[in-house]
Amino acid sequence: MRKLIIAYLFLLPSLSFSQSFQTESGEAIFLSKAPLNEFTGESDKLKGLIDLEKNLVDFYLDLNTLKTGIGLRDRHMRENYLETEKFPFAEFTGKMKSIPTLNPGVSYPVAVVGKFKIHGIERNVEITGNLQKTSSGNLELKAKFDILLGDYEIPLPKLVFYELAEKQEVSINATLKPKK
Amino acid sequence: MKKIAFIAFLMISFSSFAQLERKLENENQPVDLIFHAPRHINILTVEPLDKKSMHFAIMHTFGTLNGGIENLFGLDNGANIQFSFEFALTDKLSAGISRSSRDKVYNLYGRYLLLEQTQNDKMPFSLSLAGGAGVNTSRYDFLPEPAPNFSERSSYFGQVMLARKFSEKISLQLTPMMAYFVDPRSVYQIEGDQNFYLALGLSGKFKVTDRSSLTLQYIPNLNSDLRSNVGIGWDVEAGGHVFQMYFVTSQALNEQYLLAGGNGVPGEEFRLGFNVNRIFAIGQKKRKY
Repeated sequence: MRKLIIAYLFLLPSLSFSQSFQTESGEAIFLSKAPLNEFTGESDKLKGLIDLEKNLVDFYLDLNTLKTGIGLRDRHMRENYLETEKFPFAEFTGKMKSIPTLNPGVSYPVAVVGKFKIHGIERNVEITGNLQKTSSGNLELKAKFDILLGDYEIPLPKLVFYELAEKQEVSINATLKPKK
Repeated sequence: MKKIAFIAFLMISFSSFAQLERKLENENQPVDLIFHAPRHINILTVEPLDKKSMHFAIMHTFGTLNGGIENLFGLDNGANIQFSFEFALTDKLSAGISRSSRDKVYNLYGRYLLLEQTQNDKMPFSLSLAGGAGVNTSRYDFLPEPAPNFSERSSYFGQVMLARKFSEKISLQLTPMMAYFVDPRSVYQIEGDQNFYLALGLSGKFKVTDRSSLTLQYIPNLNSDLRSNVGIGWDVEAGGHVFQMYFVTSQALNEQYLLAGGNGVPGEEFRLGFNVNRIFAIGQKKRKY
């Protein structure tokens, strides 16, 4: 018992000096390709954390910050599809299948597995992307994945199928700084 | 047992340490879509336009329904049509031009969002102001007396829109409205003969499905003997359009004529009305994807 407490106390400071990186900037973009209408939505408020030691990848986006370039469309998106007043965040928490040894300036493919949650629905997903350590010691993450609206119980009414795609292509870009 | 509890505690404390705390970017996130569009039946709403976007509305009201099938429930009897374009100069201020076929009236107007209701109820309602000036451009050559001059053809309006989304389903707007006609001649297609009109618009929205609502409009006149305007309708969001179908007691579409135009008896002289709303973005951002 005492050993455990001591171990815990030893672990505590190591947390603050750990291999933990937090977003300095992050953007998320989705692309909807429907027969009659193609549009993107963007946010530069992606927040995230990558901990190489504990193997934790944790990202979230305040969906209220997504902009499609047309205000009314944003409002419809928030009110009728994402229901942001009830479910304001899109979240991913998971881990890398294997942690690459990062040499600065080289981009490594990574696969993360974990739970993605949007519209109050959580699903297990696997996402692939690229991770790179810059010469200044930051991490750069790029990833692309698809979201099927039906998987997250975001209904696509028949009337608008030609304007909104069932499959949303999401890409994220993030720069993460070592946590002090 | 104690050990297990302690390990569990460790694990919990670790995992709660690990994840980022979810924080809203804007604590005072404004409420979305108190109404479906910047128009609600005939009345302008608090619904703002975003900078560099344009709201285009085509509004129609037809003849009275009581002609029955012979006149296809009023559709044969000449529609009053109004086109309006409203440009957002900022996220709060917009300027518009509209033209209604009744008396060929051109209106220039502005709309300003003063207060915006927030989701956390720090601001419990939205408040907008609107005002404008119009000119009747019909030809009056046929009159024995000289045709009215520009000033005599002009009219003005001003209104305050106070709205609140009470729940996901119910939104209400109170709209004190006034209109002023410089020279309200009987040859104009209005029933009133006074210069100044005061009314209180009431608009209601009851959301029935995710994308459609039952809509109501009641505009009692406060300083004239004219009948009050009553409207009941149905709003549908379809992609980028908002369609509004309604029954209403007046053919008037612009603000001045809504107050001075006169109304039929609700039920007997209902007319079919139909609005199409569309928002366009001007100067679309370049796609980064």
